[in-house]
Amino acid sequence: MTTTITYDDKSVRQFMIASIFWGIVGMLVGVLIATQLSWWQMNGKFLEWISFGAIKAEGISFLTFGRLRPLHTNAVIFAFVGNMMFAGIYYSTQRLCKVRTASDLLSKIHFWGWQLIIVAAAVTLPAGFTRSKEYAELIWPINIAVVLIWVVFAVNFFWTLAKRNEKSLYVALWFYIATIVTVAMLYIVNHLSLPTSFTHSYPIFGGLQDGLVQWWYGHNAVAFFLTTPILGIMYYFLPKAANRPVYSYRLSIVHFWSLVFIYIWAGPHHLLNTDLPRWLQMLGMLFSLMLWAPSWGGMLNGLLTLRGAWDKLRTDPVIKFFAAGVTFYGMSTFEGPLLSIRAVNALSHYTDWTIGHVHSGALGWNGLMAAGMFYWLAPRLWKTELWSKALANMHFWIGMVGILLYVVALWCAGIMQGLMLNEVGPGGTTLKYEFLETLESIQIFYILRSLGGTLYLLGFILCAVNIFMTARSGTPHDESVEVTLLEKKQKDGMRWGEALFNDPLAHIFLALAFIILWFFLPPHADKAALVVSLLLCVKAYKSFQAGKDKWTDYHERLIENYLPFTVLVFVAVAIGGAVQIIPSLIINREKNIEGRLQELYTPLELAGRDIYVSEGCYNCHSQMIRTLVPEVMRYGRPGVVNDYSHLGESLFDHPYQWGSKRTGPDLAREGGPIAKDPAGTPYKFMRVGKRGNDWHFNHFINPRQISPGSNMPAYTWLLDKETDVKALPNKIRKQVALGVPWPALSKHEITDMAETQSQEIAKSLVDAKIFIPAKPELHGDALRNHLAKSQMVAVIAYLQKLGSYREIKKDAPFKSSLDPDTLRKASPPKQP
Amino acid sequence: MSQEPKRGHFAKEKGEVILREHEYDGIQEYDQKLPNWWLFTFYGAVVWFVAYWGLYYYSDTFKTAHQLVHEEIIAVQQKKDAELEKTLATLDNSTLVHKWATDPAIVSAGEATYLTNCSACHGADLSATMVVGAAKIPLPGLPINDGVWKFGGKPMDLFKLINKGSPPESTGNNGAKMQAWDQTLTPKQVAEVISFIIAKVPADFKDIPAQ
Repeated sequence: MTTTITYDDKSVRQFMIASIFWGIVGMLVGVLIATQLSWWQMNGKFLEWISFGAIKAEGISFLTFGRLRPLHTNAVIFAFVGNMMFAGIYYSTQRLCKVRTASDLLSKIHFWGWQLIIVAAAVTLPAGFTRSKEYAELIWPINIAVVLIWVVFAVNFFWTLAKRNEKSLYVALWFYIATIVTVAMLYIVNHLSLPTSFTHSYPIFGGLQDGLVQWWYGHNAVAFFLTTPILGIMYYFLPKAANRPVYSYRLSIVHFWSLVFIYIWAGPHHLLNTDLPRWLQMLGMLFSLMLWAPSWGGMLNGLLTLRGAWDKLRTDPVIKFFAAGVTFYGMSTFEGPLLSIRAVNALSHYTDWTIGHVHSGALGWNGLMAAGMFYWLAPRLWKTELWSKALANMHFWIGMVGILLYVVALWCAGIMQGLMLNEVGPGGTTLKYEFLETLESIQIFYILRSLGGTLYLLGFILCAVNIFMTARSGTPHDESVEVTLLEKKQKDGMRWGEALFNDPLAHIFLALAFIILWFFLPPHADKAALVVSLLLCVKAYKSFQAGKDKWTDYHERLIENYLPFTVLVFVAVAIGGAVQIIPSLIINREKNIEGRLQELYTPLELAGRDIYVSEGCYNCHSQMIRTLVPEVMRYGRPGVVNDYSHLGESLFDHPYQWGSKRTGPDLAREGGPIAKDPAGTPYKFMRVGKRGNDWHFNHFINPRQISPGSNMPAYTWLLDKETDVKALPNKIRKQVALGVPWPALSKHEITDMAETQSQEIAKSLVDAKIFIPAKPELHGDALRNHLAKSQMVAVIAYLQKLGSYREIKKDAPFKSSLDPDTLRKASPPKQP
Repeated sequence: MSQEPKRGHFAKEKGEVILREHEYDGIQEYDQKLPNWWLFTFYGAVVWFVAYWGLYYYSDTFKTAHQLVHEEIIAVQQKKDAELEKTLATLDNSTLVHKWATDPAIVSAGEATYLTNCSACHGADLSATMVVGAAKIPLPGLPINDGVWKFGGKPMDLFKLINKGSPPESTGNNGAKMQAWDQTLTPKQVAEVISFIIAKVPADFKDIPAQ
């Protein structure tokens, strides 16, 4: 029986236009924050110039790098690529299933809901409402909205699959399924948090656990938001545009399953060379290396599909964009494993090399694939010709020059700064360069990078113009086709038993189980597990050779059944995270955490910490001295041999603040002990660390007066805003609920403690004869009281606390199967 | 492509090109064998996984990061102590005042080090103040050009002070103490900075006799 159906191409048009619009916004913010690294005035002072003095400001809080960088990443990932992905998925899924999207209402809710979320993000992030976890910064009410909209999308998608008039699922759909399931899992777990108010919450994980969960999420946001959906889009649009068959179906199968299974394990490579347990670092590094081939499988299938269509590169801009996009995918998935090697990472991490790496993915892979798709779609969605091929070609070349300039500049910047930071002075006993010197020496590359980004943005604006003119030259068109209806009994007939309990799966799961036992079992038993696992692999190979058809038929059957397929994808992506994260959640290492246990914050320090988070300080400052000699020499304290950041030092940090990029120096040891007044009496709460309170004060007001050449914004508004002391009792109560061992404190005690500490610090500032440039009339008690209320004093209190810990005696050597390191290698050497 | 693709299920032999029977929305699929070099990179990475894990946990091939840091930082410390001893053997008040501080090359090297590391707290003009707008405000450090030497005014007292930081009994200036600069500066650099100071405020050191 056949019938005529009309595809819902309106949603596709909407998502596409939204993607282009948000793409321009996101890239514009990117260009702005890139220039901020070269010229501090771009943090707000520039408004003074362009408004001819109507606006007066040294800096504007919502225009600072710390607040805008999350806006840039979120806009580009979730708004630009997100909308592009939805456009591609809605377009191709309908055609691959030969059915209109299941529900127009759900499509509408999905579209408008997603745009509202983006607007909410664009308002809250610059305002300083943030959770501070990268690409997971949005506050909890928006998180809930994201989950709801994602569920709407998922229901709409799977419902469409259920209604399909095509017996089996094409490889593009496999990737979409993996995207939807995995993003849901990652997003929900990494956003679990306990609200303290409508705009603020603490993540339920702290310290190491928070870091692990964050990068399990962060790395796989790259995998399952920026990679798998775009691979699906590649599998649909590239063979369509090239009009060539896909290169290899079996490569699709092998690289799909290996990619989704292995990707999840690679998260800890973002925490290499920290004090993270070594077994996790090894899994992160080794799985990243294993990920190289599966990633290149996608690239091969894309590029080799173009065999016989390469001549189209000359004439068809779509093919040009796709070919270059896939090539960039290959390049950045080669660079990724390279950067995951611990020795390479020691140099590259915390530098701009990482930023260059993600941009070769984002600009090269995502951006070019998006443009290729738009140029292919627009004439079809508006039933016309592309307005200008020449303009598309120009976009291509401007964009290409932009990417290369950008990426090469950041390679140079990252490698150069990494080498400089590690360089020792004459005699080899001290480091040759101060942090600031290394920053100044890469300024030229920062300028080139801004130029590259600007060129890329210009190219993309040409794309917007071209698509707009194309749309104007045609009329919106929804394609209609004749399809043969598929009876319900003709599809999805596989029984669950058949799907989940069968020969190939049994072999694979058993071998996997023993491999995992190999990680965790005590010495000798682990080797036995490895041997069993290898034997199972041999047996699996033999049974594959004997019954090849049986195995291939199984997969053929599986892709005719979307639900069992989805369940198996979920199992494949769930294993890695479970093995890596659950052990660190179960073992309470508080008493054994390498002898150092974090000192609890005082109420004022906690308030300061929340301000630090809200200002986005973590975007430029790490709090993690890695287990590397140059780091210990630079940031460790004199005479302390093992002075890298121990895990116990951030045990109670919700959220953790280890950071991922150093535009400024590490702050892990910024704080110090309780200070003494001139008479020698210790203060009640006030601490002084590496630098005095007045140093911090003056540095916040004008960083360049203290550190000439610094590109940090001035934080003058910290003086105008008051610390929210009233919120503290509730925040502390929530922290207790999360397991932070605060002593029992009444509301009064909490506010009194905060008051005492802020007065101590304010008095020390007044004694140091500081003054507020904007309010020179304030002095004496008036000045002290003004300071004591200000956010500035709270942040200083927090900075002076950083790195404070108690030495903890170990009861007995700590050994646990859930921490394989302790069973095998010796624990860290004792302090001399 | 030399071979005409056959319509069928799976490639069975090397070099055989199969075009799968089914097509999706007009998209066809070949079923080429996996490239060998690709397979070997994959297998190689898997083998390396097992090998590296084994080497790390079952042999002493790799040290832990903790061991490495521990050993190397101690080695650096020992080197530093030896270097300090060597410098101290050749350095005394008189040498600093009459030899080092009179050598313009040494003084300008000291000035460079001072401006990078010290001026943030002691001021570029040694007065421990900074000009903000019309006002002069104090910096966290103590002034160097005021003739007061809180912890001893002999060049070698300064050497010890800079090297090891404020003495433990000091309550600091407003709570803030000077860090031990031996972590950042070599003994030679410290001596150069002192030479620069001597050259800047020679009056404070005029009592040191030449040998």
